[in-house]
Amino acid sequence: MTCHEFLDHVPALVEGEPGHRLDGAAERHLASCESCQRLVADLRRITRTAATLDGRPVPPDAWHRVAARLNAEPGFAEVGNRRAGGARISYSWPWLAAAAALLFATVGVAWYAGLGRQSSSSAGVAGNAGQDQLVQSIENELQLAADHYENAIAGLEKVASASDVPLDPEVLATLRKNLDLIDGAIDESRAALRSQPGSRVAQESLFDAFRRKVALLQDTIALMNEMRKGDEAGAARIIGDLTKS
Amino acid sequence: MTDVPRTADATLARRLKQGDMDAYEELYRLHARRLYNLAWRMLGNASDAEDALQEVFLQVFRKIDGYRGDSALGTWIYRLAMNLCVDRTRSRAAHDEQKTETLDPVRMAEPGVQVPEMSVSRLDLERAIAVLPEGYRAAFLLHDVEGFEHREVATILGIAEGTSKSQVHKARLRIRHFLTQPSVATDAVTGPHLLEKRA
Repeated sequence: MTCHEFLDHVPALVEGEPGHRLDGAAERHLASCESCQRLVADLRRITRTAATLDGRPVPPDAWHRVAARLNAEPGFAEVGNRRAGGARISYSWPWLAAAAALLFATVGVAWYAGLGRQSSSSAGVAGNAGQDQLVQSIENELQLAADHYENAIAGLEKVASASDVPLDPEVLATLRKNLDLIDGAIDESRAALRSQPGSRVAQESLFDAFRRKVALLQDTIALMNEMRKGDEAGAARIIGDLTKS
Repeated sequence: MTDVPRTADATLARRLKQGDMDAYEELYRLHARRLYNLAWRMLGNASDAEDALQEVFLQVFRKIDGYRGDSALGTWIYRLAMNLCVDRTRSRAAHDEQKTETLDPVRMAEPGVQVPEMSVSRLDLERAIAVLPEGYRAAFLLHDVEGFEHREVATILGIAEGTSKSQVHKARLRIRHFLTQPSVATDAVTGPHLLEKRA
């Protein structure tokens, strides 16, 4: 058997096709031909490596652009409106629960009682009122959650700006750059929500940006505390996290 | 490779036909990452990949009435995507094919042909994929990178299952040829003309 003839057996060998067995001639060829042994080994390595190639992340706001193009597509709005009778806004309870969980985890228990009261009262309304009221109620909940985040951010910004601890200019520049990026994401998500209020992706994107901003401000304050205490190791650790974010 | 059950496909397809934006978002969540990555590797850059992603969803809306459920909805969408990518790369790919067709990767297996040691870093593999002719690239990406079975690759690309096996095999041989070139590490950054130069 020549190497050329043996090549017919290679795909099945490389892919490990179940039930594929080399005949005697092919087996003898493989056992004696270093070149074909290397070929099979190389192709297997290629296949294994290919399966581990990293996926590139889809740009976070790509869905908004897809949705915008769909909305601009002739006929799309008409079909959707016929189906929904003109109403395309929809919020889901799982999303609301996720947003609330995110809010509790990040902003703290101080607002828990307030949001909890609001949720139960909304649930009561939902049980007795129609769909419009339910949607309105959920919109109110989301707005409330957004307000809480914004209050938290305002408070944290105040604490951070009132500190008398000087920050290294390089760290400060990184912080500002990260805050600008997050603010940009918040603005973009808000704009997306305005054009498409029912988009879960836009909702998640907005709250994710809020969460990142709260986390960044919390880290900034923690950094100032470490510096005030003179804990260089603690400060270095926080700076490391900040510059990675 | 698994896909959502056909009943879920049918329900989702019905909602897509009705222009239900939530259904499009659901479809996006299920497939956007994979579609984007396929498009990225087929078209070679993020901007074209995102444009292709948008175009695929427009085509879903335009063509969903023609979806009969003969294949999984996912397979149908990947077929739209790959057709789109192939259309966009056809002229460029045909050009590459002319330049690279003179290579005989089979010769690499013949005795007497000295094959240098092959190293496979993921970066070099990405570079090698980028210079494959588009037919080989499509089959290789779907099978070896994305994990579709040959029968699924065949459906997506509109080819016979045997052709899928052959295309993937030839793609691997070309990648090996690329990776065993002594100057891959330095030349590969300059892209497709590496093969042209060596052909």
